[in-house]
Amino acid sequence: MASEALKKRKPKVIRNEGGTPEGKRGRGEGEQVTRRSFDSRVYNEEGELEGRDPKQDYQQYKDTCAALAKLMAEIQELKSNGAKDGSVEIEERRRQSCVHFMMLKKLNRLAHMRLKRGRDQTHETKQKVDVLHLQLQNLLYEVMHLQKEIGKCLEFKSQHEEIELVSTEDFFTEAPAEISRPHITKEDPHQLTLARLDWELEQRKRSLAQQYKTSLASKEKIEKGIEVKKEYLSSLLPGLQSIMQASLPLQEYLSMPFEHVQKQAEVAHHLPPPLYVLLVQANAYGQASDKNLSVFISGDVDEAKALSKPPEDSQDDESDSDLEEEQNTKRRRATLGGQLDDKRKEMLKRHPLSLCIDLKCKDGSVLHLFFYFLMNLNILTVKTKVSPSSQLCGAVSAGELLNPETLLNCLYASDHGRETPNPANRYQFDKVGIATFADYISDLGHPYRWVQRLGGLQFPCDSPESAVTGSALSANHMESTMKLLRGRLQARLALHKQFISLEHSMIPVSAECQDLFPAKVLSRLARWTTITFQEFVELPMVQHVVKAGLAHETDLFFMAVLERGTARLQAAIVLNPRYPDATPLYSLSLLWKGERSGRTDDNLRAMESEVNVFRMELQGPRPGHQLLTNQLQRLCMCLDVYLETESQVCDGVEGPREFPREKMCLRTARGPNRLKPFKYNHPQGFFSHR
Amino acid sequence: GSRVRLCVVKMGPVEVQFSLLHMSVYSQSFSPCGRFLAAGNNYGEISVFSLSAALSPDASEASQKPILTFTAHDGPVFSLLSTDSHLLSAGNGEISAWSWVELIKRVGVEHLKIDVSLRTSLEIPEINTMVLSLKDNSLFVGGGDNNIHMMDLETGVFKSTLQGHSDYIHCLAVREREGELLSGAEDGAVRIWDSRTGRSVHCVEIYKYEECSRPQFGKWIGCLATDSDWMLCGGGPSLSLWHLRSLSPTSVFPILGCQRQAAFYQDLILSVGEGGSLNHCLLSGEVKAQIPCTPPCLNTLALNGTEQRVLTLGGSSDQIDVFTNLSYRAFSLSF
Repeated sequence: MASEALKKRKPKVIRNEGGTPEGKRGRGEGEQVTRRSFDSRVYNEEGELEGRDPKQDYQQYKDTCAALAKLMAEIQELKSNGAKDGSVEIEERRRQSCVHFMMLKKLNRLAHMRLKRGRDQTHETKQKVDVLHLQLQNLLYEVMHLQKEIGKCLEFKSQHEEIELVSTEDFFTEAPAEISRPHITKEDPHQLTLARLDWELEQRKRSLAQQYKTSLASKEKIEKGIEVKKEYLSSLLPGLQSIMQASLPLQEYLSMPFEHVQKQAEVAHHLPPPLYVLLVQANAYGQASDKNLSVFISGDVDEAKALSKPPEDSQDDESDSDLEEEQNTKRRRATLGGQLDDKRKEMLKRHPLSLCIDLKCKDGSVLHLFFYFLMNLNILTVKTKVSPSSQLCGAVSAGELLNPETLLNCLYASDHGRETPNPANRYQFDKVGIATFADYISDLGHPYRWVQRLGGLQFPCDSPESAVTGSALSANHMESTMKLLRGRLQARLALHKQFISLEHSMIPVSAECQDLFPAKVLSRLARWTTITFQEFVELPMVQHVVKAGLAHETDLFFMAVLERGTARLQAAIVLNPRYPDATPLYSLSLLWKGERSGRTDDNLRAMESEVNVFRMELQGPRPGHQLLTNQLQRLCMCLDVYLETESQVCDGVEGPREFPREKMCLRTARGPNRLKPFKYNHPQGFFSHR
Repeated sequence: GSRVRLCVVKMGPVEVQFSLLHMSVYSQSFSPCGRFLAAGNNYGEISVFSLSAALSPDASEASQKPILTFTAHDGPVFSLLSTDSHLLSAGNGEISAWSWVELIKRVGVEHLKIDVSLRTSLEIPEINTMVLSLKDNSLFVGGGDNNIHMMDLETGVFKSTLQGHSDYIHCLAVREREGELLSGAEDGAVRIWDSRTGRSVHCVEIYKYEECSRPQFGKWIGCLATDSDWMLCGGGPSLSLWHLRSLSPTSVFPILGCQRQAAFYQDLILSVGEGGSLNHCLLSGEVKAQIPCTPPCLNTLALNGTEQRVLTLGGSSDQIDVFTNLSYRAFSLSF
């Protein structure tokens, strides 16, 4: 009842106090209060439990049960005797049995409480045991760990055990007392070991010091030996020199040029590095693979010696004078011109020594190459001279062919040798007012790029795509360059010969190339002249060539006139200096019944391509020296075909044909632009289309 | 396809320049999509140009160069023709087929080669012209053997030969609706054929008409074009417009040079040839304009009707002139 009332009261409390914890406390207080009031009213059963003996209780339980059974039996008896329910005896007995029931209930309650208490006690003890067990295990683990650590310590090996020590007896006899310290070490083996190790260290120090001393002594000894030997060698030199002197007449007598070679080698020491590289490489190449190449040094050796001895001083002087001159220019501008002249001269100064390479050809003609080094510009230049084998008769048009100024132009593509290849030179030129190196070429020689490469000088190119041959090593270029030089000379000499007959209106066709042309060619070369670049670019028929950038000032230009009857074919020819590697380029113009050129007439254009494009058929035996003349002969042949087929096409109106058809043609026209058959088929002798 | 290789083989830079200097463009054909142009030259090479790249606003020098160049034939490529999927090229006595899909991907591999069994002689006759007849799906081929060959495109078999000309065939034109084929030849005749029977229906010898005749240039017919009842033809004789039903010349155009190709374009007549200009003519016989071009002589004219509206001209130069507007040259493609 009380608890029910409490439960009903609880929400009120919560509402009054205004918080759950308060409410809980309130309820707890309430319970305690009720229990206390209950305790005070009812006797404390738990307290009573302390004072009772379970066995006694058991006895009491038995007694009560027996008494109850007895009472039940009496009631049974009474009832069976016919006593009524409400009779006094039965009531009496029922009251008594109620008391017994109460007793049983109490005993039951007590037994339960005892059981609960027993359980609680068991549980408590069990927990205690668990805690103790855990403690035990921790301790066991700690013990095991400590044992392991001890084991590790015991197993530790010190390095000193490997050192072989002096035996203990020897140690005590040999070692001084401050190391052995017998009073401590005799008892303590640890201290003994330490002391023995100390002693070992001491001994080793001593022996190393000993070794050092002996090494020093031996070194001194060897030094002395060297000194003696040096003295001996230096005393040998004068003797040898006198022997050399004495052997000179003998060398001359036996014509063995040891001395000459040696002298050249000595002079070579004074060469500037690029010329030295060139000398060495040219000599090496000549000895290895070209017997017709000879190299020698010319120039003033003494001047070169003077130049090479105090190089630092002279540089200082230069820079000093530069400074002074700069100041001077600021002060006095009147004398500027004269000073600039001097400075220009100084800048363009050549090294006093130069190198001369002679290339001999099979027919006996010689190409002389003179190499110079411009010290302040750091570039090499070359001058050329040709000594032909026999006196060449003067062909007017051949004048330019062996001109030393242009002979070596474009040995490699676009190497004109007119501008300095060293980019730094431009700034040097700006300082002294030189516009272009080309003004000084006739004096100083051409600074071709291949010359720089032969001397091992490498300069970056203006255009990245032209920097092809990678290595700057002179040796890599020597062979190809020498072959090109010789090829150039031979090509020019061959052209020279051909020009003589061309000027006599003869086209020389060699036996190997006879098959390229029919036996009867009626068109003839009427004129062969050289023209200048200016004259060339003004010709109307070559405008497309000029526009395509195929005519350069460095090229040679010629005009050929072919004639047959009233027809005149003019051919303007661009001859690249790299002929015969580069094909000569022809442009045509025909004067016959009006003027036609390759631009207006597809057939003339086809004739141009016959000579310009299909060079492989025309070059003849290698290296193709007959290319130019074969082109001219093919042009004559094509003119024949042109005129003969043209007159036929146009017949009917013109009256009698000027050019009767003699060439055998399969068809006179073909294709949309009605080209004529310009291709000659050798064994059958007919003309067909390409 | 083993003959396919790049054009610059074993040639120095100067030799390449020389061969460019003497190059002639003979034939052109647009791709079916209209974005590419194939052009054939006298060295047997075919170059493929990207018109869309060359015409784009950010076109550079490089986009005027071919995307692909390959050697197709030994002799010059006088004729190129595009079908729905393939490019047909004509060499000496042979026709090769190239897939446009592959050409656009820059692969020049031959798909098919057809030997045209032309007359056997010391030289293999050339093929000057090819035309397609869509109606009966056949290809007409005309060239050096004076005959016209009709090939079935389905089977690749030559069905019939049209004989009649006495010299080589320059040009062909098809009249689809009437089922007729026109041919112009070196012998000076324009023949009209019934393409079904293979018989020559008419033969017009243009040089015999006084108003067209130019004996100083010869009698050959170099170009032909048709549009409904009209025919254009020219060559040695002056370029003239003919009414086909009456077979009489209605107008003769006073153009000096010999014309090599002509076409109807809207109400204009365009023609090219010697003289290096694109001629605009009116049907009434007047020459409206002569637009100067890069090549001094022109061989071929091609009109692209599809995506990229351009007119391209090739001739005796390595440059192909491109016209976006008929009245001036926009730029040149170059080999």
